[in-house]
Amino acid sequence: MSHGGSTKQFFQANRLSRSRARGASHGRESRLRPVLLSICLVWMAFGQSNAQAGVQAGAPIDLEALRGRVVYLDFWASWCVPCRLSFPWMQSMQDAHAADGLTVIAVNVDRERAAADRFLQQFHPQFDVRFDPEGSLAERYKVQGMPASMVIDRHGVVRFTHIGFRPIDGAIYERQLRELLAEK
Amino acid sequence: MQLKPRVRRPAGPDMRRRLMAASCALLGASSARSQAVAGSGPAPNTWSIDTALAYYHEDGRIQAIEPVVNVLKDFGDGETVGLNLTFDALSGSSPNGALPSRSVQTFASPSGKNLTDPSKLYTTAPGQLPVDPHYHDQRLAGALNWQLPLTRVTQATLGGKMSYEHDFFSVSGNVSIAEDFNEKNTTLSLGVNDEYDTLHPIGGTPVAGSDYTLFEKTAGKTKNGAGVLLGVTQVMSRRWLSEFNLSADRFTGYLNDPYKIISIIDAAGNTTGYEYERRPDERTRKSAYLENRVGWDRASAGLSLRYMTDDWQIHSETAQLHLRWWIDSQDKYFEPSLRWYRQTAADFYSPWISAANQNSTAYASSDSRLGAFHALTFGLKYGEKLADQGNSAGGEFSARIEYYQQVTDGHFDAPGSLQGLDLVPGLKAILLQIGWRF
Amino acid sequence: MKANRMIWILLLPAAVLASGCSSIGVKPWQHDLLAREDMRLTNDSLDTAIDDHLYFSKEASSGGRSFAGGGCGCN
Repeated sequence: MSHGGSTKQFFQANRLSRSRARGASHGRESRLRPVLLSICLVWMAFGQSNAQAGVQAGAPIDLEALRGRVVYLDFWASWCVPCRLSFPWMQSMQDAHAADGLTVIAVNVDRERAAADRFLQQFHPQFDVRFDPEGSLAERYKVQGMPASMVIDRHGVVRFTHIGFRPIDGAIYERQLRELLAEK
Repeated sequence: MQLKPRVRRPAGPDMRRRLMAASCALLGASSARSQAVAGSGPAPNTWSIDTALAYYHEDGRIQAIEPVVNVLKDFGDGETVGLNLTFDALSGSSPNGALPSRSVQTFASPSGKNLTDPSKLYTTAPGQLPVDPHYHDQRLAGALNWQLPLTRVTQATLGGKMSYEHDFFSVSGNVSIAEDFNEKNTTLSLGVNDEYDTLHPIGGTPVAGSDYTLFEKTAGKTKNGAGVLLGVTQVMSRRWLSEFNLSADRFTGYLNDPYKIISIIDAAGNTTGYEYERRPDERTRKSAYLENRVGWDRASAGLSLRYMTDDWQIHSETAQLHLRWWIDSQDKYFEPSLRWYRQTAADFYSPWISAANQNSTAYASSDSRLGAFHALTFGLKYGEKLADQGNSAGGEFSARIEYYQQVTDGHFDAPGSLQGLDLVPGLKAILLQIGWRF
Repeated sequence: MKANRMIWILLLPAAVLASGCSSIGVKPWQHDLLAREDMRLTNDSLDTAIDDHLYFSKEASSGGRSFAGGGCGCN
């Protein structure tokens, strides 16, 4: 992917320099370019500052201590509507399989604790809830959508990664959990 | 849904990011799909109902009452089905296109066949804008919308609309597809729509450009429209969302207003007659639209801009700004809004036809909606969350008021006795609305 | 030359945006404000539909945001 990207970048750089050379003869073009470039700089400023936000050192999940158990690591937020489906499901998984070795850890990524607390008051989860307001854990585990979950087997290997939670996913994910719980 | 661990995407060097952002800006990002990111909307697998009742009143002209209901079913996996029903009833006085005059004017209602049957006539006093005082119309419209996710990053939408009035029937369909990129920060959409309308004007369709007093009427007419929309939605930052659309549409067929006439004025300013308007049978429009939303903890703002141009030589600019202020821990809000609009006149727009030119077969219309004017809307909305009904998104009550004013642009050199009269007076209107969402 | 430019403007967006705009945006867990209901684009709101119908019947422009509205036989 990076090779394809740099070819495109080279191609674009050449096109930019060629059109700049022709720029003088196109009055409307030359008026537009500074405007577009300044818009571009503003966009970049925003984009850069936000892409870097939250990349800080944070305490990772201590998977060593959980060796021997199957871990369902979930990332959720109060503003994540599908999380309203995944929470009851995670609770029922905890209830059904904790004795067999399942540990559910739900990491919250809300910036404000109050919003997370309101959500928790509605669902009263009995499983482990952690808080990651800076997003450093989410960054470390490369969350690519919300909600996101990783299923880690008894040897600490990430076996499944899920993005999103739809009504039909509960049954499919449970099958995966049973599969890993059956392993020794 | 992934069954394998995700491959790590390599981070690019700074220079590469700068060049790519630059080329991105040069092309100008835009999009049409609403950002239904895992956030707003009803809780998954539920119904939500949105209703509103609007009352519209124009100073001295039309008033309308419009109840609307929108029902949405969310299946929880991104698939939604929505049904919208709108009814409106209009009544009051509607300008018939003729010009004010220094003498009394007599017109026949659309169902009239001559100017002698007193039950179908209405008169306009000297100096007043001619309006049909018995205008009334009811419209019932329904729309069905189906959103279907094809993959985690692709969504298709199918929609159909039908609208029924006693003299007009419209049916249209639309299809669009949207694709997400860059971890859903960018969405590209493409949509097409098609519309088919049939008109059965009361009293029959007048022959375009014909003498009003001859009451030459023909059978019903049709018109057809097709449109395409290309858009990009881009998340600019945690607080800022941007959408840019390019769209074009083309209508062909009967595009006249069958109830509008144009006054024929001689050099002394007397009205010597009237003729029915005549518009081209084709209209192509293009528009560019940019919308921005910026959010803070207790407030948000939206700014949208639209530029439209068509082959009738109408160009328009629209700018709309609204600010939402949350009060009382995000349960209540105020939302003032401002809209500015300006359009140029169609090349065949003319408030009157001079008697010297009356036998020309050129296009002509005095419909003020095709004239040059600017308009301002001031609005204020209040909303408050209702107690949780079990539907996690919560309900909302809202009330809104808007004041709309249209001011004619340009100056008309009125001949003779018409000098001193306000020939194209503009319009003032108020909109009141209350709504509930469950 | 003009046709050439038009082609680039029409074809490049999809390709460039997919890779070129990858530096603009936020991480998936940073959509808190964007998820708020007042941060949705105006396409879906009932207010917008009512306003659009009003402006469609009083002005010569319509749509641009979703599709050209029709239904009252005006314009």
